Amino acid sequence: MDLLSLHLFENEAVLKSTFTDCPDVIFRSFLIGNKTKALLIYTEGLANIEEIDKHVLSPLMQQETTRLPDIQTILEQKLSVSKVKPFTDTKHAVQEISSGNPVMLIDQQLEGITIGLAKWEKRAIEEPIAESVVRGPRDGFTETISVNISLLRRKIKSPNLKMKSLVVGRYSQTQIVYMYIEGIVDPHLLDEVHNRLNRIDIDGVLESGYIEEFIEDDPYSPFPQILNTERPDVAASSLLEGRVVILVDGTPFVLIAPTTLYSLFQASEDYYQRFMIGTLIRWLRYIFLLIALLLPSTYVAILTYHQEMLPTTLLLSMAKSREQVPFPALIEAVIMEITFEAIREAGIRLPKQIGSAISIVGALVIGQAAVSSGLVSAPMVMVVAFTGVASFSIPRYNASTAIRMLRFPMIVAAGTLGLLGIMLGILAIIVHLNTIRSFGVPYLSPMAPMKGEEMKDVLIRAPWWSIKKRPRLTGYSNTNRQPERQKPNPLKGTE
Amino acid sequence: MLERGKISALQMAFMMNPTILATGLLLVPAITAKTAKQDLWLSPIWASFIGFMIVFVAYRLHRLYPKETMFEYSEQILGKIPGKIVGVILVFYYFHVTGIIVREYGEFVSGTFLHQTPMVVIFSTMIIVSSMAVYGGLEVIGRCSEMIVPVLLVLYLVIFVMLLKDLDTKNFFPMLENGLGSSLKGSVVLQSWFSEFILVSFFFPYLRDQDKGMKWGMISVFSVMFYMVLTNVMSLLLFGKLTASLTYPVMVAARYISIADFLAHLESIVMALWVAGTFIKITVFYYVLVLGTAQWLKLTDFRTIVLPIGFLLILFGIWSAPNLQVLSHFLSTTAAFYLLSIQVGFPVILLIIALIKKKRQQMKGSITG
Repeated sequence: MDLLSLHLFENEAVLKSTFTDCPDVIFRSFLIGNKTKALLIYTEGLANIEEIDKHVLSPLMQQETTRLPDIQTILEQKLSVSKVKPFTDTKHAVQEISSGNPVMLIDQQLEGITIGLAKWEKRAIEEPIAESVVRGPRDGFTETISVNISLLRRKIKSPNLKMKSLVVGRYSQTQIVYMYIEGIVDPHLLDEVHNRLNRIDIDGVLESGYIEEFIEDDPYSPFPQILNTERPDVAASSLLEGRVVILVDGTPFVLIAPTTLYSLFQASEDYYQRFMIGTLIRWLRYIFLLIALLLPSTYVAILTYHQEMLPTTLLLSMAKSREQVPFPALIEAVIMEITFEAIREAGIRLPKQIGSAISIVGALVIGQAAVSSGLVSAPMVMVVAFTGVASFSIPRYNASTAIRMLRFPMIVAAGTLGLLGIMLGILAIIVHLNTIRSFGVPYLSPMAPMKGEEMKDVLIRAPWWSIKKRPRLTGYSNTNRQPERQKPNPLKGTE
Repeated sequence: MLERGKISALQMAFMMNPTILATGLLLVPAITAKTAKQDLWLSPIWASFIGFMIVFVAYRLHRLYPKETMFEYSEQILGKIPGKIVGVILVFYYFHVTGIIVREYGEFVSGTFLHQTPMVVIFSTMIIVSSMAVYGGLEVIGRCSEMIVPVLLVLYLVIFVMLLKDLDTKNFFPMLENGLGSSLKGSVVLQSWFSEFILVSFFFPYLRDQDKGMKWGMISVFSVMFYMVLTNVMSLLLFGKLTASLTYPVMVAARYISIADFLAHLESIVMALWVAGTFIKITVFYYVLVLGTAQWLKLTDFRTIVLPIGFLLILFGIWSAPNLQVLSHFLSTTAAFYLLSIQVGFPVILLIIALIKKKRQQMKGSITG
């Protein structure tokens, strides 16, 4: 603790030496009431200069009294700024200046004042790109943590919405806030989140992905154990289920913990559309999940080992299309899958204008030319294309990458041991999924360990009036979500 | 305690189903048909009595020593040195039996699907996946079975339904041609399968709801019996007298399935499903072996010996029999007595001694008190 000294010039010297070669930190000295020396320090571009001029500098400089002003009167009478705070420590001053808040020091005072007039250019609230919906709120998180907090507060207005803040990153000094609803969240979970976040010691945090890798349970799993979202409504619904939301300054992606496998395959819109279509789409997604994982490997297994499973006509047409193909099915599948992944990756990274060119190249050259030249069979192109479509139907990007990764070992297993290999692969995945946990919650819950009541949010999307309980493992301290007998009925209220 | 995880009684019931059925479904119809002829569907019902009895015995032993498995309480019941000797017999017994199961699996896969693949590859791929589950502990095995087994049980019923049109009920008759004797004789081999229910005694101490252990143990015996009867009925009505001469009647039955002239020859899929069941079976035996060895050696953690034992299991799989004929002969003759003596004889003797000991203590207590 380096306390402020009574003499302004000493304080000034300390701060100036801290901020040498930082021309963006401005030291503005002025006199209060023509007599007392004062110093205003702010960072250019991060402070709202007009407001400072209007509400800080002009009232103080135009003060007539020659009496030595004390901090309390300045705070109470002179500064017409809502967010002001006295401090006594130079380190604190350095931190405030770096994060944009102007700092005022006054001669013969042991305290300084931070003025909450930080302001910088921020992105407006836009529709999230990665999770778009047909029906549902269109606001998305931004890069500014205060905006993100306010977005969540707009959804959950209860004073029970609590948050704790900490700073991570020795150089980046990134603000991290975790939010929860008191009375719903499990206190043990909260302790765990707190401890894991506090253990992080890193030089800089630029995205919530950094935090995610530091606090997840099983770092060697291909499956994401912490959900990320750009949507305030998804974060709010997780809060209501007793989960903890972790916001990181500087990124629109917030983390949600704990996470189960099934929540990776749920889109927010499932809950906004009517429940029947929600259920159907959910099942469509499960089927597509299996297709994305297993279709190429099953194709390889059947072509290599189990031709008898195909009806004769189908087998003949496949054999005909494969006549000229020089590769065994396994190699063909691996080559095509890698090609597809490459096109996909190129499409993401390229500027939008060129992106369409890639799809033309992909479709024409790889689709058409490869088949007509006889290097790849047409059914294989279909299989790969369908697999690609299926993997796009998984709503969470990090879940679909897990499936994409696992597809390759499955193809190899199928190429070496046929359906047996696929089965062993599936078993290995099931075993692995059963071993991992996310903040103490089994990853496959509520399927295994089985919770009959909660299965209705997994197998179907139950209508809202029937989801009476919160998930037990996250919200057990306050399980009741809504009272019984809310099923709509036109006769209600008339009896 | 070595195992910190807890499972529910329901999970245990799910675990036990494929543990008995996986190899049973393949071999049982043919083996019982040899002696029971057209009454083979009765044999599982007789054999299931052994199952009910053994669950009861295991539960009584569990009530006497609620926190211990057989490896631990045999030392308490028999004394230190005889208990250790029983322990070593059990460890080697489970090595042998698990080796046989691994071999049955390997023989089946290489005999029907992967003719060219070396047996060691088939063994070791399965052992690797199983060891992942064993490494995760009882909780992981319980959860895996909870996910896999219901699906398998339902799909097995679907197979039966799809075969309905090919079934010929005339094959039932003449019913009880030779009285009950032949079906009883046929049940002897089956009893060895049902006696495997002694495995529940290794899970009882780790149940979350201990009072339901007996109930769910009995329910799983019943469901195993139901599925065995179903299998035997299916192969009897489909193949009649031929059943006895087939090695894997269920697999042959799967070839009869044809849906809409498009989905035919589903035996590969049936094989894949069966592999899932066998996975549970091998994992359960493997886990009991690892847990038992660790308890016998008084280790502090069983995870260190998972991989070495897995390696030994591959070897035991190779050593257990020179070929399928010898294995099948062993299973349908000697094995019944071998398995029954250890899986039924041992626990019954243990229970009797334990009860006598308890009586004596009570009498002593009443004399001194």
